[in-house]
Amino acid sequence: MSVEVPVKATGMTQPLDSATTSKDAPHPVAMQVRGLNFYYGTSHALHDISLDFPERSVTGMIGPSGCGKSTLLRVLNRMYDLYPGQRATGEVIFDKQNILNSGVDLNVLRSRIGMVFQKPTPFPMSIYDNIAFGIRLHERVSRSEMDGRVEDALRRVALWPEVQDRLSASATALSGGQQQRLCIARTIAVRPEVILLDEPTSALDPVSTARIEELLDELKTEFTIAIVTHNMQQAARCADQVAFFYMGRLIEVDSTARMFTTPREQQTQDYITGRFG
Amino acid sequence: MGNEPAHTITRYDQELDRLRGIVARMGGLVERQTAQAIAAVVNQNEEAALEPPELDPEVDALEREAEMLAIRILALRAPMAVDLRVIVAVLKMSGDLERIGDYASSIARRAGKVEVLDGAVSFSALRAMARLVQENLHMAVESMVENDAERAQEVWKADTAVDELYTTMFRELVTYMMEDPRKIGPCIHLLFVAKNLERIGDHATNIAERVYYAVTGEMLPSVRPRGGAARTNVEQPE
Repeated sequence: MSVEVPVKATGMTQPLDSATTSKDAPHPVAMQVRGLNFYYGTSHALHDISLDFPERSVTGMIGPSGCGKSTLLRVLNRMYDLYPGQRATGEVIFDKQNILNSGVDLNVLRSRIGMVFQKPTPFPMSIYDNIAFGIRLHERVSRSEMDGRVEDALRRVALWPEVQDRLSASATALSGGQQQRLCIARTIAVRPEVILLDEPTSALDPVSTARIEELLDELKTEFTIAIVTHNMQQAARCADQVAFFYMGRLIEVDSTARMFTTPREQQTQDYITGRFG
Repeated sequence: MGNEPAHTITRYDQELDRLRGIVARMGGLVERQTAQAIAAVVNQNEEAALEPPELDPEVDALEREAEMLAIRILALRAPMAVDLRVIVAVLKMSGDLERIGDYASSIARRAGKVEVLDGAVSFSALRAMARLVQENLHMAVESMVENDAERAQEVWKADTAVDELYTTMFRELVTYMMEDPRKIGPCIHLLFVAKNLERIGDHATNIAERVYYAVTGEMLPSVRPRGGAARTNVEQPE
């Protein structure tokens, strides 16, 4: 997929850094953001963002509320198109194409770049249909194949053993953690290449959170993942690289180990050590 | 290390300040121990010889206190970036400081046993070494208290001279022992004194390395400048 670019050249020779990243670098880049600006009407929300999302790895996006991290996530699958007055300039290169171009088929784009939200959003239908719904939107599959796809998606999020006997039960009866895993299953069932997660565990208990994080670790062998999180420890645990945003600007991006031990920018350091105003 | 803006959580700052205070106090104590140990040997000051071992329990207790507090902060605050580096540095530095205290005590305990050598063996190399080690230790402790990476780097570079002096003393003492077997006992004690001083210098260098890392986030090269060993023609015990 798309251009071959090394993950990042920081030019640093930090023993800690090389020890933690050498084994999986360099990944080709799945998505490339270049000179991105974003506006909510007249309000300039993102300033000249350039950021690479390496293939099959997790990019964590952190920063205080209103820093633009969720906005960027919403640009990556053109979610903002649903709202009038919002516009983006610059480039988001995905599969050799600038997805910000007007000719892009948004349904296809969103099947290739899936999204999971902060609050679990199960559809008011059965567990089975929650998964099948997305697949049906994009593909025609036989009943038996559909059964297989649903089971496969549920197995991959480790939900299968818990729901296999009640696939026709309503998804809204599941616990919060189960609902979120169901939403991830629904996203991966359509076989996307990129998964965007917007604070996916902020409404979950620690055990459910750990399950989702474990799941991310598994999913990244196959998908490119971008996760917005307010939880610094979560970024530290899950992400391969971390990007810090502040007031609509990308302040710093680096390997997770380096960001949390020796960030280069004072603003990053102040934020992650809890010294923010 | 302490030149950052305040944390949003005030108690976090207080805990980190307390941690820094403990190692600063340890630094002061081991400097005192080292100075008295050197005075005990070089000036044959019997009274000075008593003090380093007396101070040891206090240094040990502070090391444990630093360790417990550091673990507590690691567990409860999940420190990141400069805070994390400082805490890890403190954990290691408190160990270095405690060892320095032990070496100083060991030197002080040997003071009486090198007495007969006074006059027979030139103390000049020992004096020079003692002065250098004390200077380096002082600078290391100062760099630790003041978060001074530049000074830390100076300490790190200065250790070469200590190593060279140790090698000189080693050769000198071997010659004395070969000339007069009756001097072997006191010479060996003196050699241990020199070795312990050299070890104190090494730990001062370690402290400088930790300070440098904590302040800058970068490690000094793993091979530090070394002096002496290559130029000995007698196999040198480590």
